[in-house]
Amino acid sequence: MELIQVLIYGLLLGGVYALLSSGLSLIFGVLDIVNVSQGAYLVASAFVTWRIWESTGIEPLVLLPLISIVWFFLGLAIYRGLFARVAPQGPSMTVLLSFGIALVFEGLLNIIFGNKFKSIVNDYSLKSFDLNTIILPYTQVIASVVAVFALVLMYLYLKYSWAGRALRATAQNRDGAALVGISHNKSSAFAYAIGMATAGAGGVLLAITYPFYPATHYEWIAKLLGIIVLGGMGSLPGAIIGSILLGISEAAGNTYAPQWTILFFYSVIMLTLLFKPEGILGAKTRKDSA
Amino acid sequence: MKNFFADRTRLYVAIPLLVLALIPVALPDSEYEQSVLIVCFLFAIMASGWNIISGFAGYVSLGHSVFLGMGMYTGSLLGQYFNLPTYYFVLVSMLVSVLTAVIIGAVILRTKSHSFVIITIAVLLSAQLIASNWRGFTGGTEGVIFRSPSWVKELGNMPYYYMFYVVFLLTIALVWFITTSRLGAGFVAIRDDEAKAGSIGINTTQYKVIAYGLSAAPYGLAGAIYAQYLGFINPIGAFNILLSVYLVLSALIGGKGTLWGPILGGFLIALANEVATITSGGISARILIMGIVLVGTVMFLPQGILNSVKTISAKRKSAKKSVAFIDQASIAEPNTAISIEKIVRPADANANKSDVILKVTDVYKSFGGVKAVNGVSMEIKRGSITGLIGPNGSGKTTLFNCITGTYEIERGSVVLNGEEISKMQPWVRAHKGLGRTFQITKLFKSMNVLDNLVAPLEQPSVKKMLVNKIQGDEADRAREVLSFMGLSSFEQSKVGALSFGQQKLIEFAQILMLRPDIVMLDEPASGINPTLIERLSKAIKRLNDAGTTFLIVEHNIPLVLSLCDYVHVLSAGELMVSGTPDKIRNDEAVIEAYLGPDTLLTEKS
Amino acid sequence: MTETVLTLNGVEAGYGGGMVLQGFNLEVKKGSITCIVGPNGAGKSTVFRVISGLLKPNKGEVILSGKNISGISPSDILKLGITQVPQTRALFPEMSVRENILMGGYSIRKDSKLLKQRIQMVEEIVPIVKERASDPAGFLSGGQRRMVEIARALVLDPSLILMDEPSLGLDPKSVAKVSELVRKMTADGRTVLLIEQNVRLGMHLATDGVVMEAGKVRISAPADKIASDPEVASMYLGKTK
Repeated sequence: MELIQVLIYGLLLGGVYALLSSGLSLIFGVLDIVNVSQGAYLVASAFVTWRIWESTGIEPLVLLPLISIVWFFLGLAIYRGLFARVAPQGPSMTVLLSFGIALVFEGLLNIIFGNKFKSIVNDYSLKSFDLNTIILPYTQVIASVVAVFALVLMYLYLKYSWAGRALRATAQNRDGAALVGISHNKSSAFAYAIGMATAGAGGVLLAITYPFYPATHYEWIAKLLGIIVLGGMGSLPGAIIGSILLGISEAAGNTYAPQWTILFFYSVIMLTLLFKPEGILGAKTRKDSA
Repeated sequence: MKNFFADRTRLYVAIPLLVLALIPVALPDSEYEQSVLIVCFLFAIMASGWNIISGFAGYVSLGHSVFLGMGMYTGSLLGQYFNLPTYYFVLVSMLVSVLTAVIIGAVILRTKSHSFVIITIAVLLSAQLIASNWRGFTGGTEGVIFRSPSWVKELGNMPYYYMFYVVFLLTIALVWFITTSRLGAGFVAIRDDEAKAGSIGINTTQYKVIAYGLSAAPYGLAGAIYAQYLGFINPIGAFNILLSVYLVLSALIGGKGTLWGPILGGFLIALANEVATITSGGISARILIMGIVLVGTVMFLPQGILNSVKTISAKRKSAKKSVAFIDQASIAEPNTAISIEKIVRPADANANKSDVILKVTDVYKSFGGVKAVNGVSMEIKRGSITGLIGPNGSGKTTLFNCITGTYEIERGSVVLNGEEISKMQPWVRAHKGLGRTFQITKLFKSMNVLDNLVAPLEQPSVKKMLVNKIQGDEADRAREVLSFMGLSSFEQSKVGALSFGQQKLIEFAQILMLRPDIVMLDEPASGINPTLIERLSKAIKRLNDAGTTFLIVEHNIPLVLSLCDYVHVLSAGELMVSGTPDKIRNDEAVIEAYLGPDTLLTEKS
Repeated sequence: MTETVLTLNGVEAGYGGGMVLQGFNLEVKKGSITCIVGPNGAGKSTVFRVISGLLKPNKGEVILSGKNISGISPSDILKLGITQVPQTRALFPEMSVRENILMGGYSIRKDSKLLKQRIQMVEEIVPIVKERASDPAGFLSGGQRRMVEIARALVLDPSLILMDEPSLGLDPKSVAKVSELVRKMTADGRTVLLIEQNVRLGMHLATDGVVMEAGKVRISAPADKIASDPEVASMYLGKTK
C-alpha cells in the first residue's frame, strides 16, 4: 500500500530529523540562541566522516561515537570562547555570531574539500529492504535506527546524569538552579556542547544517506529551523512532531513533486503561525508565568 | 546657501555626494571605477534598507537579499513581456518587494519571537527554489539573458551609474526621514522595549510591518536596475545568501541604527570585496574571510565604526567638562505657572461620562495552580485618587496588570468609560485613556528625555507618523509637562544618566503626554526619597483637581492613606474591604492582614 | 549563655545608587527561630542577600560561628552550611518531587552514599517528600511546594536556614504545617532566620524578633515582646495626622 510506504518512510526520515533538530531546540530552550550554524556543524561532520572513510575505509557508523565526542568538546570551546561573551547582548547578536561561525565553517570546508558533491557509497548504499509492497532503502533504515538510538541515549543521559539534571534544572528555573549551586556558565556551555554533539552524530548519518557539499548547510538549517518553529521553539516534543511532519511531507512529496515539498512544508509553517504564532507545542511568551 | 551649510555636517555630506554625482561626467574613461562604485551604491542601498528593520526596529533579517531578487525577477518578467529593459519597471518591482514584505510581516510579526529571523532565511531559500523550478515563468535554473540597450556602446556604464545613484539618494532620504520622524522614533521604541512601546499607544504590529515593508522598498528599486546591468538573471544569483551576508556585515561594521553607518559599511565592504577579487579571487576564501570578519565584528565591534567614534568623542567631550553631578535635590520646583489645562484633556470632554470610570467585575487570574486574583470586583470613581493596597501575595499587582493588559484575564470583565477593554491590545487601551507606569521604570534607553516624552501616541494617526519627531506642538507640550514637574533641566539628558527617582518622575511625565483619563501608578513611591515622593504627590493632587483619575498600587501605607480619597484592600486574591482612608486605618481586618490578629493599635499623638 | 551562630556587624550594603543597609547589626542565637519584620523597603531581603553571598557589603562583616564570611561566593556559603528558601518559586516544575530533593544535594553529588543518607533523613522530617515522590513539582499546591522547598534546603544538613516569607501565598492550614516544620527543624539543633511581613504570624512562630526600618534595626527583643508592641503597629500603618 502506497500510503503505508509513505508513512513508514516518512517516519524514518522524521527520526533522523528529530535527532538533528533536538540539538537546535535544546540550545534555543536553554540559551535563547537561534543557532543557525547548526547546519554547518552537521555538514562539517559529514565531510570529516567522508574523509576518514575515503582514506581508511572504516565503516562510518563506527566513527559516530568518536565524532560526537569531538564535536562535544568543540562545542564547549565555541561556547566558552565566542558565545559566552556575546550572549549578554541578546538574541539579535548571538544569531549574527552564529551566522558568522557558519560561514567560517563553510569557507574552511570549501578550501579543504572543494566545492563538489561528496557522498559515501558503501556495500549497503544501494540495497533496500524489500517487504512485499514496501521498499525501504537500507541506508535510510540504518540512519533512522541509529538516530533514534542516539536520541534515546541523549534523553537518558539528560534524565539520569548529574550534568543532564543540572541542564534541565537551569532550563526550568534559573534562579532555583543557582540556589542549589549549579553554575549557569557551566550549564550553558554544556547545553551548547550537547547541541553540537547531536550535529556531529547527525553528520555521520548524513554522510551515508545523502550527498552533500559545503553550501548544503543552508538547506539543512532552513529545514531544521522550520521544524522547531513549527513544533514550537524550545519544545523537544515539538521538535519531534515537527520532524515527523516534515518527514511525512517529504515522503509523500517524493512520489509526486520532490522539489516542491520544502515549499509545501514552509506553507504549512506559515499557516500554523497564522493561527498559532507560538508553534504547535510552543509556550506563549513567558509574561504569564509568575 | 551659506546658511544652509552653516552646519558643518551638511558640508561633509554634500561634498562627497556632489563628487560622486560628477565622476562619470568629469572622468569619462572611468568605466572600471564606475563599476566599482555601482557595487558600492548597491551595498550601501541594501545595508541601509536592512538597517530599517534590523537596526532601527531591532528585528534581525538574515535573508533580506530576497527582495533584491524579487525586484530583479519582476523587472525581468515584465521586461520580457513588454520587450523593454528591466529598469523601466522600477516602480512595479518596488511594489512587489514591499507587498511581499508586508504580507510575510503581517503573519510573522504579530508576536515578539525568534521565528522572524528563521522565516527570513526560509523565504530566501524558497524564492530560490520557486525561481529554479517554475521554468515556464522564470526560465528555471538557466535564467534569462538580456539584450543590451542600444546606448551601451556610446555611454557605457554611465546611465546605470546614475540610475543607481538616484536610488542611492532616495534610500538616504528614506532613512533620513526615519531618523527624524515619529515613525522612526516608534521603531526605536519597539527595539528598546516592545512591551513599553505598546503600553504608550504604539501599535507595535503595525509599526513592525511598516518597517519591514519600507526595508524592502530600496531593494525592489535597485533590483530592477541591477538585472539589466548584470545582463542576465538566474535563481542562484538573484536569491543569493552571500549577498545577505555582505549587506548584514556592511550595516554591522558601519554601525547599525545610524543613518550613515550602513552607507559607510557598504562602501567599505564593496571595496574590500573588489580588492579580494583582484588579489585572490577564490570564493571559498571570500566566504571564510567574511565569516571571520562577521564573528570579529560581533565580538569586538558590535556597535560598528560610527557608533564607536561617537562614543569616543562623547567621552572626550565629557572629560573636558566637569561632570555635572545630578543629584535628587537638583530637580527644580514645579512650575506652578503652567496652566493645568494645557496638560490634561479639557474638562468638558468628561461632561457626559458616568460616575464610574473603571469597573472591574469578577476577575479571575491564576498562575499554575495559584489563584492570584480570585473573583475581584471593584469600581473606580471618576475623578478620584484610589489606592489599591494589600500584603505581598494579595494579588494587587496581578489585578493591576490585568487591567492594563499585561496579563490576560481568565474570567470576568474590565470596563473603561463604558467599554469592555479586557480583550484589547495594550496600545488600544492607551488610546482609550489608560496610562500606566511600571514599578521598575521603563524608559527608552536609546533616547534622551525629550524624545521619551514625545514618544507616546494619544491617538493613532498616519499624519503623526510622518511628522518630525521633535518639532510641532507635541514637543512644546512635552516641554510644558517637564516644566510642570520641575524637570526642565533634564530635557536633553540621556536616560542612563538619571537616578532611579528621577527616572520615576520622568516616566510619570511621559504618561501625562497621553492625556489619560486614568493614570495607573505601580508602586510609585518605592525606592525614591521623601522629597521626590512629596513632589509626585503634589503633581498628582494638581492633576486630580483638574479631573484626572488615579489608581495607585502601593506598599507605603502612610502615603496611600494621606493621598487617596478611597482605598481598596486585597488579601489572598480577594477584595477584603473598601472605604475611606480613615475607615481603612481603623479596620480590624486590614490591621490583621498586615500585622496579624489581636494587635493593639494605640494612636501616637 | 546560648551560643551565637551568626553575627552581622555594622553592615553597609546596597545597589548602585544608595545604601539599603546602613550600619546593620544582628545577632542570631543558635537553635533560635529569629524573625525579621519591617515595612517594605526596610532592607529585609537585602540582609539575606548579604548573608548568602549574593551581595558584598561595603562596610562591616558577617561572622558565622566565629568565621568571617563576608564576600564569600554563594556556592561556598552553601558548603559552610547555610541554605535558603527564597520568596519566589524555587522548585523545578517539570521534575518530580524526588528529583527536586535530589537536586538539593547537587553540591554533594559526588558522595552518593552521603546523599542517600541525607535524602532518607529529609524524608523522615518532611513526609510529603515520600508521599508525592514521583509527582511533578508543578502539580503541587502552594503549601505543598513550600514544604518541598524547605525539604530541599535540608538535604545539605545546614546549620542555618534562611527563609524569605515562608507563609507567602499560603492558606492558614499550610501556614500551620510550615510553622510546625520550622519548629521541628530547630528542635534538631538547627537555627532558622526568617523574614515575615505578617508581624503577628512571624512573632508567633519565632523565639526572637528583629524589627527593621530604613536599613537599620529599630527593635531587637524576644518575639512575644515585639508582638504586643504598639510602636510596631504604627510603623506599618503610619501615624495619624
